[in-house]
Order: sequence, then C-alpha cells, then structure tokens
Amino acid sequence: MSKIKVIPCSGVGKVLGLLARESVLKVTQEQLPNDTETLCLAHVVTGDDEVVKKIVGARCITMDGCPKYCAKKSVEAAGGEVEYSYKVPDFIKPHRGEDHGTGTYLTEDGWKFVDELAEIMVKTANEMQEEVI
Amino acid sequence: MVDKKIGVVGCSGEECLGGTISRLVVRKMLEELRPGMVSTLCLPLFIAGDGGEREFAEKYPTIAVDGCSKCCAKRAIEKYSSAVAGSIDVAEIIGQDAALGKPLSTRNLTEEHLAYVKEVADKTCEIFDAILVK
Repeated sequence: MSKIKVIPCSGVGKVLGLLARESVLKVTQEQLPNDTETLCLAHVVTGDDEVVKKIVGARCITMDGCPKYCAKKSVEAAGGEVEYSYKVPDFIKPHRGEDHGTGTYLTEDGWKFVDELAEIMVKTANEMQEEVI
Repeated sequence: MVDKKIGVVGCSGEECLGGTISRLVVRKMLEELRPGMVSTLCLPLFIAGDGGEREFAEKYPTIAVDGCSKCCAKRAIEKYSSAVAGSIDVAEIIGQDAALGKPLSTRNLTEEHLAYVKEVADKTCEIFDAILVK
C-alpha cells in the first residue's frame, strides 16, 4: 500500500510556515517513516511528472501555515485526495503569548508546539490506516 | 543607500537538503546579509495567488534560489511572472550528492550545513549586488 502523503506549505515569511514544515518532517522522518512520506511542494506546484504520478489519487494530509491554504490547494490541484487539511493557527490558541521563534529558527516553545502538531498528524495518519484495514 | 528592493525566492523543497538550504539562504538574506533590501514570498503562494503575488517579479528584480536542478522557483517565476534577474542552483554550488541528501530539520543542522548555507548565500549576495549596480 502506498504511503500517506503529508505535505506542509513551508511558508518562508513567518514562523507559522516553519512550524508546519518541521512538524511534517518529524512525522515523516521520525514518527511514521514506514507509513508516511512528504513530497516537495515546489515540485507539486510546478507539475513535476514524477511527483504528479505519486500524488494523483493519493491519500494526503496537509499542514498549512496560514489561511491561504497553499499546500491544500496545490495538492488538490495536482490531483491528490486531501482527506485532512490542517492549519497551524487552528491549534495556536492554547499557545498565545508564547514566542515560537522566526521563519528561520524555532525556540524551545516552538519545538514543543511542533511536537504537538506532529502528534495530531500521527493520530490522523494512524486513523487513516485503520480505516483501510 | 539604494532604495530599491530585490526579490529573493527559494523553493523551500521538502524532499532534499538543497531545499532546506534554499530556505535558509532566503532567511539569511532577509535577516543578516541584506536586511531591509530583500523582499520574498512563498513559492506556492506565488503560484496559487490571486494575481497580486504573480506581479512580484514584475515589481522587483528577482533572484530564484533552487535546491536542485529542477529549478522549480526559477521556472515558476518565469512562467507566471517574468524573467528572473538571477538564479542559484544549490546543487551546482555544494554538489549534487550533498544537495540531494535527506531533507533536514533545522534542529539537526551541523557546522557543515551552515557552511553550505554561507557558501550559497555569499553567491546570492554577489548576484544581488550586481543587480543593484545595474
């Protein structure tokens, strides 16, 4: 069975994009490397043949940094099935007042938030796997 | 002091080290090397944007910083806006093997990776400064 695609926006302007990127890398590289993988969003948006083949009809989770939903929209436009679309600001309320860092580096609080976002995606990916079984 | 801004757009690719480096180079230009003189935006927003974003490269001379030889940022800017003023292929500077290595969390950056960022950023500055004096 093909791996679930987990794709962040990796927005470069603010910390929200870095939080999205780091949380997806944690899921795909550390927590569920056998069940999930990420794809290069730049390849997705430019319609790279190899990536389009992988994404058409694939089950996807997206994590965006802002309400413009670039990852979700781009994956859908390329033919991916976005079953779960998240955005970092949806989970930020309990973290109000914390300094998460910048678009370059995260603070300790930023990394804690990354861990929390990753857990949300791990839970989602596990549920998606169970639906198939 | 020159009052014009120059766009620097990275691919921020998620599948290889070159993408991580492209992203860090853009941030280094913004924060350390040419603060106040750089404008940037997310590549997916540039492509998915409602039009305003696509005028970016018409408004600013723009340098594309790509992590691999597919040059997504350069191709996208030229397709949707106008010709780039300069371009960087990280793989050409640090080598294919290094650039196509595993994508890296900023938590795991080593001195070697930071040296790559500096090397690519220095090259980007050369292009940046050449555009400024034109």
